[in-house]
Amino acid sequence: MIDVQGISKRYGHVQALRDVHLTAEKGRVLGLLGQNGAGKTTLLNIITGCLAPTSGRVLINGYDPLLTPSKAKQALGYMPEHPPLYEEMTVEEYLRFAAELKQMPRNAIPAHVTEIMENTGLTEMRYRMLSHLSKGYRQRAGLAQALCGNPEVLVLDEPTSGLDPKQITEIRALILALRKEHTIIFSSHILPEVRQLCDHVVILHRGAVKLDADLDGLGGNSATVHCRIQGDKRKLTAALQHLDDLQSMQILSSAEPSELTVSLTFGKTAMPEKQVFTLCSALGTPILRMTRHEDDLEQIFLQAIAE
Amino acid sequence: MKTIYKREFLSYFRTPIGYVFIGVFSALSSVIFYLNNLSALSGEILIFLSQLTLLVMLLSPLLTMRLISEDSQKHAEKLLLSSPVPLPSIVLGKYLAAASVMLIAIALTNVCTVIIMIYGTAFAGEWFVGYLGFTLQALSFLAVDMFLTCFARNQVSAALLAFAGNLMLWILDLLADAIPVDFISNTLGFMSLYDRYEPFIIGQLSFASLTFFITFIALFVIATMRLLDARRFSQGGAA
Repeated sequence: MIDVQGISKRYGHVQALRDVHLTAEKGRVLGLLGQNGAGKTTLLNIITGCLAPTSGRVLINGYDPLLTPSKAKQALGYMPEHPPLYEEMTVEEYLRFAAELKQMPRNAIPAHVTEIMENTGLTEMRYRMLSHLSKGYRQRAGLAQALCGNPEVLVLDEPTSGLDPKQITEIRALILALRKEHTIIFSSHILPEVRQLCDHVVILHRGAVKLDADLDGLGGNSATVHCRIQGDKRKLTAALQHLDDLQSMQILSSAEPSELTVSLTFGKTAMPEKQVFTLCSALGTPILRMTRHEDDLEQIFLQAIAE
Repeated sequence: MKTIYKREFLSYFRTPIGYVFIGVFSALSSVIFYLNNLSALSGEILIFLSQLTLLVMLLSPLLTMRLISEDSQKHAEKLLLSSPVPLPSIVLGKYLAAASVMLIAIALTNVCTVIIMIYGTAFAGEWFVGYLGFTLQALSFLAVDMFLTCFARNQVSAALLAFAGNLMLWILDLLADAIPVDFISNTLGFMSLYDRYEPFIIGQLSFASLTFFITFIALFVIATMRLLDARRFSQGGAA
């Protein structure tokens, strides 16, 4: 568990962080959102003990990384924005070094490193020098070192930055797999990624927390589904208007005359997909496509950082 | 500390730096040996060692230039600072790695001792005192250089800074003589590594100099630890 208690950080005249409070719990992923220069990396550096705050404190599983560094950092894996690589080492040597730094028992290190290389897709690169790796593999090596020593708390600073779409999917899948046993906090400015991976989101702006909320609670009081249904437009429109708790209906343009494309907004308690499916099934009109339009995180983000 | 030491020591030999340092040190010390001893038909180990100070001064920045600044430049310091290894162990591991390479280079100069033993006479006491003083002086330069490299952001400026520092330390006795204010002159004279090394050159085992060198090394290693720790409080990017 990570507990950030009133962290402020000042560099000369620049106030980088102002009274930041947040809590990340085990089994949950906390997403840290913010524009460039919002203070995300500074906050992550403070959480991991690489920087000291001007005021406030951080507790990692109850231990302050500045006062009891060995206990706090034993449970910590940090992947900084720029992977901290020793270029003259091979991937395997580097991960062994990272595991030794985490003070793992020597005899457990080879098997542990092999497992991490498999999980992060680095096995085929194990004898390659880090200086010869592509950006994607360097990023993976950075993530792999964070996993060394099986730390309970993972702090990841833009973990998918610079990866190709396949690698992004793999790293996201890995983060999702890790969430059960770990406390994960990661920064990103890719909003769909935050939506996909996080349970909780904190938006930082100019060093201050502007939003600290569960993603489930961010949708407001409505749920929107976009549907493409085959059938008579007029008949379908009339039928859809009688759905329970329908707040608004917007007919979207459709190229096909025998298809209705519509955006339906329901109250939060309604079950939109079930209602639409039941109705169309009764009418005998096939649903060609139906997608839940999630609350617009982009809008929420922009509102949060608006002055 | 052992983990850091092992990595840093091996990295000297995974990159050309370790080979270049030992190679150049051995080659130039052989030239000095030829000029001082072979061509002059002299078996004086102490004079030979006193001439090697110049080499240490010139070459020790090669060993220290990457110790701290490379970590900072390549963001590797975050791996170390977020690990459970305490900062003093990190600094000590790095210093001992550089010191080990220096000791290898110094040990190799004993080829010259062997040549003196074959063709002349080498006195054990003289050898011991000479090498003890020379080694402590070399380790003192390393400690200062490591401290100075904390102020540099890249390896080139780290090497230049360390070299300037070495030169200053070496000419402190000249400065001390040139400054007419007693207090400053005495303080500079006290700090001069050249003056401190002098008793060893004439074969004296000076406990005052011995204590000075050990304290000097400890002081700069501790200062490096304190400086890196202080940076966590003052800087945007950690040390």
